[in-house]
Amino acid sequence: MKRTILMFVISALVLVTLVLWALKGHFTGNIQEIGMSGIVLVVVGFAIYLGVSRLRSHKLHEPAEDELSKKVMMRASSLAYYISIYLWLFVMSISDKTTLEAHSLVGAGILGMAVVFLLCWIGVKVFGTKNV
Amino acid sequence: MYNRIKELRARQDLSQLELARLVGVRRETIVFLEKGKYNPSLRLAHDIAKYFRLPIEQVFLFDDEAAPKPTA
Repeated sequence: MKRTILMFVISALVLVTLVLWALKGHFTGNIQEIGMSGIVLVVVGFAIYLGVSRLRSHKLHEPAEDELSKKVMMRASSLAYYISIYLWLFVMSISDKTTLEAHSLVGAGILGMAVVFLLCWIGVKVFGTKNV
Repeated sequence: MYNRIKELRARQDLSQLELARLVGVRRETIVFLEKGKYNPSLRLAHDIAKYFRLPIEQVFLFDDEAAPKPTA
């Protein structure tokens, strides 16, 4: 239950930070900012979905985590790590061809890693974790 | 590897949620097992076989064994 609460708290903090950043006048509405904000919202939505499914399990008196959910997480993490190496290679290769500043590129790379993990998690859920 | 969980569960008129609770996993795990999308740990396979009072090899079967494959 502690981990579920932590997931909601972190999601809320990220959302509040995003709103404060927009209200402070940093949000100019260009395509790059809209894209990054959209990705942050998708990642936060994913965290909230995981939190809600854990709550649902708690309500049904099921364990919040079992061997399948741990295996899905592990498989998705290892796949995402592998793909992220190529993502960072791609980011490095475009770093001198783009007008983006270094910190924006790093931010985009980190958000990209989150999206890669999300896609890997969905993939493992759809195709299963059969190993034989 | 495939298994007879769905068939054995139907014989005992047991829901997926009930079986999940009996062996201490989430219902989703039973769904994945029945669809053949997940191979259980030895511990879980043992617990499921123990619940149905059958040896593991009669619940979980390898593809090369001469037994009919489940249709769904």
